[in-house]
Amino acid sequence: MKTKKLITILVLIMILAIAVGTYNISLSKFKLSDQNTSYLGGLNWSRSLDKSLLQAQQENKPVAMYFWAVWCQYCAKFQTDTLGNPQVKKLLEEDFITVAMDLDVDKYVSYGSYSYSGYPPPKVLFLDPSGKELAGIYGAQDAAYFISVATKVRDQVRSK
Amino acid sequence: MIDFGNALLYASIVISAVALLGLLLKEFKKGEVFTNLVTPAILLSAVLLTFAYLLLTYYFVVSDFSYEYVSQWSSRDLPVIYKISGTWGGQQGTYLLWVMAIFLSAAWLALKTKHATPLARRMQIITLLIGIYFIVLTLMETPFSTWLEFFKQQAVTYGVSLENVIRFYEQQYPQYGLFSMEKGFTEGGGLNIELVNFWMVIHPPLIFIGYAATTIPFAAAIVYLLTKGDGWEELSRQWARFTWLFLGMGIAVGGVWAYVALGWGGFWAWDPVETASFIPWLTLTGFLHAAALHRKNKTNFSIAAPMLAVATFILVLYAAIVVRSGLFSSLHTFGESSTGTVLITAILIIALVSLALGMRRYFEEPETVEEDRGFWNKTNIFYIALLVFVVLAFVSFWGITFPAFIQITQNVKVNVASDTKNFFNVWSYPFTLILLLTLGFCLNYKESVKEKQKKTLFIVMGLTILTMLPRTDNFYLLDHNSPFWVREPGIYKLIGSISVLSIFPPLIYAAASVIGYLNGYTRTANMRVRIKGIGITMVHIAVVLIIIGAVVSSTSTTSIDMINIPIGAQGQLLDVGNGYGIRVVELSSRSLADSSSAGADSGNYNVQSVKLEVYQGNNKIGSGTAEYLQGKGGSGTYPMVSPSLGLFAGDVYVIFQGTGGGAIPLTLKIIPAIDLAWIGIIFFAVGIILIMFVKSKGRD
Repeated sequence: MKTKKLITILVLIMILAIAVGTYNISLSKFKLSDQNTSYLGGLNWSRSLDKSLLQAQQENKPVAMYFWAVWCQYCAKFQTDTLGNPQVKKLLEEDFITVAMDLDVDKYVSYGSYSYSGYPPPKVLFLDPSGKELAGIYGAQDAAYFISVATKVRDQVRSK
Repeated sequence: MIDFGNALLYASIVISAVALLGLLLKEFKKGEVFTNLVTPAILLSAVLLTFAYLLLTYYFVVSDFSYEYVSQWSSRDLPVIYKISGTWGGQQGTYLLWVMAIFLSAAWLALKTKHATPLARRMQIITLLIGIYFIVLTLMETPFSTWLEFFKQQAVTYGVSLENVIRFYEQQYPQYGLFSMEKGFTEGGGLNIELVNFWMVIHPPLIFIGYAATTIPFAAAIVYLLTKGDGWEELSRQWARFTWLFLGMGIAVGGVWAYVALGWGGFWAWDPVETASFIPWLTLTGFLHAAALHRKNKTNFSIAAPMLAVATFILVLYAAIVVRSGLFSSLHTFGESSTGTVLITAILIIALVSLALGMRRYFEEPETVEEDRGFWNKTNIFYIALLVFVVLAFVSFWGITFPAFIQITQNVKVNVASDTKNFFNVWSYPFTLILLLTLGFCLNYKESVKEKQKKTLFIVMGLTILTMLPRTDNFYLLDHNSPFWVREPGIYKLIGSISVLSIFPPLIYAAASVIGYLNGYTRTANMRVRIKGIGITMVHIAVVLIIIGAVVSSTSTTSIDMINIPIGAQGQLLDVGNGYGIRVVELSSRSLADSSSAGADSGNYNVQSVKLEVYQGNNKIGSGTAEYLQGKGGSGTYPMVSPSLGLFAGDVYVIFQGTGGGAIPLTLKIIPAIDLAWIGIIFFAVGIILIMFVKSKGRD
């Protein structure tokens, strides 16, 4: 009886340690989004399309609008391989206003024609500061393809 | 005007309430007026609910789109089999299935026991309470609500004419066609494309019948905790095994579906909903083990066994919440619903009551003065195994629970690890090792050769620790080449650096022990005992096979992503890298509808298929067809699965994602050893059926 009691107490302590530990690690290291910002692929993304478009108009930059979901396996891959690529990261940080749409929360959010329609995540749409759709990345495309599309969009907006 | 289906549900509440009243009067010795009515009333309720379920199925088969639920989950162009499976496409239908299965369990209990003993009567009281609770839950969002009723309500609420409401919804849902008062809508929205698959026809009934069946062991355990009466384990034993079989097979079929229909390239992805169904299965497995020792000596696990049965039932309710609440980010969720709060309340009440009962038992239990047998005895090691089941269940429970908790309390979304599966793999793996070691030690344990067996265990433990250390290219618990690796925190890196070679010493030890166990049984002359021995052997060999299949297939899969074959290059053998080549033999597309039912509005479901041949060097290693479906809810991929490489080298697996940009996009995977997992699953089923078969003959 004594042995069992001892083992039980040890196991309970271990469970508690795992519970508290993983909880805190997640909060400090694996935050995906809070009220205003999403943290995906090492980048900060606004959660408000309206604010992002306003900012885009002030700075004359295009908007990169990313559709994602927690359960989307290819999004995780896209975020590390493509968005996490240093060149992609630099391009997005310097030349784009980034906004992310969480499909579990923002599925009813629509703005003009950019409602999430049909195509499964991951998906990135590029908008000009007025909100017009210029191009899109459909599926977990690689960094090279992403850069080629994004650069074209950036130059198109700059030339205006 | 109450709909016929709803009337059946209301009637079954009233009738089962009569049965409940009869049982309660008898229990509290207030009279036996209703006693003779109890069994007939329970049987009648079961018949009514079965009839209600068949009625719903009938509405689906004849495409009666005057019902909201039918139009949501069916359409005319679906083959009949998917019209039938549409009944459990959404939550309303699954509740109806669940409640039907609970009352079938109650009917079984009534027929088997005739309510002759206080134990049987008390168990039936609890079963009926739960049954009635579930009928109410079903009625809260009934599958039998009609559009017309809904439109009339809307018309009253917004003070507009019925015609305007109808016109509004016709425009809102053009896919439903036109609405007429007599016949409802002309068309349905269709079944989600992922569910249009044979495995999805059998997966939900297995799971929900399994969920419902946990009611009986739960009721038995509660009665035991309340009264300390004997016989609870005997009465619920077969039922617990039956539950274990259905729940286990339901989970397994879900895995097969994920593998052959979802194109994940694996059978398990730690999706919250599949994890939620796995948790009660783990505690139920723990219960079966505790019960096995409890029946030999009533003082063994006299609290652990009933508490595990109770936990299983609570976790089943929890699984229902995970599916319904919309708080858990999953591929499965049916969306938010009002039944969530009702379920949470039930869980809290049941959990608190059973915890109190368990505590009372614990403090009342006389401190047994047994001789000190030291640490190394079967009960102690068995107890460790039980705890490992609990810890594994907790890891899964916690991994799906705390992100939802953080989201509710702080409005912050977090991931459990940089890659979801890493959390579960890291925390489950060490305990899986311990579980295999205890399996190896316990299954063939003999008091007489205890010292020798201890020595063997120590050697295997040593080998396990040694085999954790080798540094190889891959074969680590967490993939070091993955882009996620660098972002892992210290503890994940530490555990993630364990080489999975360490699974083999415990696996071999466990397998050897199982074979030794079988040898012991084959020497007995009694046929029944021998069959039981074979059953137990198969179940435990299955554990070994499934773990090998899971570990090897997930750590050694070769994957070539983003192959784009130009549509014009059909018939040519193209090199896709790593020495593999693919030839696209034929690309075609068709509609899913039967040619018989194909009307003007057919073609909601379109299938593109590519016939493929896969080569390694100049050898053809596999061929088959990969398909891509489009329809309601997006698209589905049915990969080519060619088991042509053999048992260990595995499957040639090609995912096709639909033509686009003049190319055929493919992903090639070579997945080894996965067949071992499938064989293990079959062994699980056959083994437990053999054990049940022996038990059903004669008394025990």
